[in-house]
Amino acid sequence: MTTATEAVSVPAARVRHSPLAFVRRHVLTVYSLLVFAYLLLPIVVVVLFSFNAPQGRFNVVWNHFTWDNWVNWDAVSGIRSAIEVSLEVAAIASIAATALGTLIALALVRYRFRGRGSTNLLIFLPMASPEIVLGASLLTLFLSLDVQLGFWTITIAHVMFCISYVVVTVKARLVSFDRHLEEAAMDLGANEWTTFRKVTLPLLAPAILSALLLCFALSIDDFVITNFNSGDTVTFPLFVWGAARVATPPQINVIGTAIFAVAISIMLVNVVIQMARTRKGTTV
Amino acid sequence: MGFIHRHRWLTPYLLLVPGLAWLAVFFVIPLGFLAHQSLEVQNPIDFSYAFRWAWHNYSDALSTYEPQLLRSFEYAAIATALALVISYPLAYWIAFRGGRWKNVLLLFIIGPFFVTYLIRTLAWETILSDNGFVVSTLKSIGILGPSDRLLATSTAVVAGITYNFLPFMALPLYVSLEQIDPRLIEAAKDLYSSSARAFLKVTLPLSLPGIFAGTLLTFIPASGDFINAQLLGTSDQYMIGNVIQSRFLELTDYPTAAALSFILMAIILLILPIYTRALGTERLTGA
Amino acid sequence: MTDNLSREEFLRRSFAIGALIAVPGLAAEVARAGGLKIPPGVDPKRLKKTLRFSNWPLYIDYDKKHHRYPSLELFTKQYGVKVDYHEDINQNETFFGKYQAQFRRKQSIGRDLIVMTDNSRFPALMVQQGWLEKIDKSVIPNIKNLLPALANPAWDPHREHSLPWQSGMTGIGYNAKYTKPVTSVDQLLFDRKLKGKVTLLDSIGDTLPVVVLSNGDDPGKIDDAAFNRALKKIEKAKKAGQIRKFTGNDYISMFPTGDVWAGLVWSGDMPQITPSTPRAKWLIPKSGGTIWTDNMLIPPGGDSYTASVYMNFYYQPKIAALVEEAIYYVCPVKGAGAEIKKIDPAAARSRLIFPTKEMLKKIYVVDPKALFNPDFQVKWQSMLGA
Repeated sequence: MTTATEAVSVPAARVRHSPLAFVRRHVLTVYSLLVFAYLLLPIVVVVLFSFNAPQGRFNVVWNHFTWDNWVNWDAVSGIRSAIEVSLEVAAIASIAATALGTLIALALVRYRFRGRGSTNLLIFLPMASPEIVLGASLLTLFLSLDVQLGFWTITIAHVMFCISYVVVTVKARLVSFDRHLEEAAMDLGANEWTTFRKVTLPLLAPAILSALLLCFALSIDDFVITNFNSGDTVTFPLFVWGAARVATPPQINVIGTAIFAVAISIMLVNVVIQMARTRKGTTV
Repeated sequence: MGFIHRHRWLTPYLLLVPGLAWLAVFFVIPLGFLAHQSLEVQNPIDFSYAFRWAWHNYSDALSTYEPQLLRSFEYAAIATALALVISYPLAYWIAFRGGRWKNVLLLFIIGPFFVTYLIRTLAWETILSDNGFVVSTLKSIGILGPSDRLLATSTAVVAGITYNFLPFMALPLYVSLEQIDPRLIEAAKDLYSSSARAFLKVTLPLSLPGIFAGTLLTFIPASGDFINAQLLGTSDQYMIGNVIQSRFLELTDYPTAAALSFILMAIILLILPIYTRALGTERLTGA
Repeated sequence: MTDNLSREEFLRRSFAIGALIAVPGLAAEVARAGGLKIPPGVDPKRLKKTLRFSNWPLYIDYDKKHHRYPSLELFTKQYGVKVDYHEDINQNETFFGKYQAQFRRKQSIGRDLIVMTDNSRFPALMVQQGWLEKIDKSVIPNIKNLLPALANPAWDPHREHSLPWQSGMTGIGYNAKYTKPVTSVDQLLFDRKLKGKVTLLDSIGDTLPVVVLSNGDDPGKIDDAAFNRALKKIEKAKKAGQIRKFTGNDYISMFPTGDVWAGLVWSGDMPQITPSTPRAKWLIPKSGGTIWTDNMLIPPGGDSYTASVYMNFYYQPKIAALVEEAIYYVCPVKGAGAEIKKIDPAAARSRLIFPTKEMLKKIYVVDPKALFNPDFQVKWQSMLGA
């Protein structure tokens, strides 16, 4: 009896709300598309102006189209070394931070030890501190110890602020890790180290890779902390900051667009692979 | 391997030491140095510093820069609220209507983030300029008066902060919404007479962790930001970040800058537990 | 070939080569001297291999197409000294702030030559504290080409630590497209038609004297009363919403977009403004403007000998003209004017590079004591709001 009533009432309810639901459904979509447009607006401007040939020193008014900026992307003195420094720092810092952070994440999730609370606090604090405090305090340390500011102080700073993000990223994956696979491996005779190498690590790889990419992105984009600890060395964001006062050559937009394009492509590839996997049903 | 096996209790510590040591040396100790510096006094003639237990640096900084401090939190709060209001429907849409394309749609949120922060903000400077498209349109439909402007106002600064920190709000919201079982919502819609009530009673509370994470991840860095104020505003819009930056790097008034840094951190750390308690979540440190 | 060489020939050649290799200094000398024209007064052995030079951006001749600095290359060609040129000075304060710990301890900052402005307190401070190396006048005979007006500044009366690089004037720049000529400071600050479209310079050494002049006070002797009068005037304009922003030279990007219609502008920035803002004009306000000088200084640990040789090189009218033609500031080197006429007659006519006598009567140097006054500094910073 109850089933029949349910079967009748549900469709009726749907029919009653249908026109309103239709509007609501599409309002949300339209709204979301508008938000996307808002999010992409500056990006469009950046890409567009990378093709601009500005009159004068500042790339703020559209003049006319040119390929020249892309062809001569390193025509501006200092821009090439700036992006090279940024890439080097990002590479070194992300690898170091990922290694250190992954170890911490493993310890936090897999082991019992004293001082768990303080460890969590120590990991959390850098994320809760404003960048300006992180950068300024590190500068104070370097100045007090008479350390020469430059490439390595920048790298040290980047590793420092990335570790927390790695821990959070890897931990999230570790927590939902299915330990049965590892247990199965050990039952089959593998020792802990082999299990770790052949089972845990490969399964953890996507999370570690995400952490690595996150670090890389954070490092390439960092301005505030780098500004305090760079001394003479110029990274790409520092170059843009300095340039904004003096002259904004379109090459800045070119490099910005290039970084953006590379990053989006990597992520698109990742997404496509994931979608293919889900379709095939081979997710882990 | 044998050694480690026999001393298994060592393993977690061995794993922790490298990373924690790094943080201890390059995060904790520098804060100590900063604290020391905040209690120094600067000789204006030859720029040397002397340690004097100068607690007055803190009270002086608080009173001199009270406007900038208040302004920072005001701007950050407004920007966070705006980001929440803007992102929530978007995150909802992707989580529940995205289907197979969820990850691609997320790219639209994260994507802009990959253009260097400064370049993005400079682009806003171009977009919002007095003779630009946006201002002209707003003037023609009457929102802006004939002699008004957008750039070099607090509106532009808050708008910039909102934009730049939007992904920090949208992503946690999405993660939290995405985990909600859609059948719960269906059931709620059946239980309650309208979708609106279903939302308020079921969806919203379930997305609270996301709201919590998103607001924190937005508010905290926003309150210390200075780039938006520098590029899109004037000294009337300067936030505490601008003051700290200029005191450190331009005027080399390290004691004041150090004191301000700690004041900023202290306020944030004070707000944190209050906010946590208010929202009723314990998912703070992820312990 | 070697088969046909007689034994004597072969031995002679080996001996010669061996001699050269065995005396490395000699080889270097030979290599350098070939093509180099080091004047007799300069000892090539005392010259360093590289001169590390920090300067403001766009402040020297630059060949955009080939990414070269022609005048620096001429220096290298003549003396065999490479020039490591950095355009990393954007503001006197930030540059000093970056290296202040080293200056204080008289440690090297990795530079032999830097350029700082005398309307900031830093050149005076550094001389006073003994943080600069002395210039070596024995290798700067061309110091005789220094304009007499610049020979004895108050902060370095005998030019023992500095030599001018360029001078510049602070006046009013305005965009004729949007406004009629802005001829006075009062008009800049109080003409309602310019509301929200005016920028002032954020450095006290630039803006303060100009406003002091508009009150009829002496910018060379700014006492408390004069300072307060000027500050009050600026604050009044600020409150009324007249002033859009206090800027460094980022005002340049605000002219083409029409965000700024008029403001205090450095004379040498006009060639940067006019390409994108064709109707931009510059003038000295009715009540007067200021003149300041960027000076070449030798930081601690810098090689005074090599830097001084470069200074001497720069003080040749031909070289100064080369640099001048590119940057449109006021040249401190006598005779450069005649040289410029030869290479760029249009530049020679520019009043920005060669101010007329009438103009020179109306530009003043700011009171250096005012820059050191801590009370003024605090009040100025608080007016700026940071």
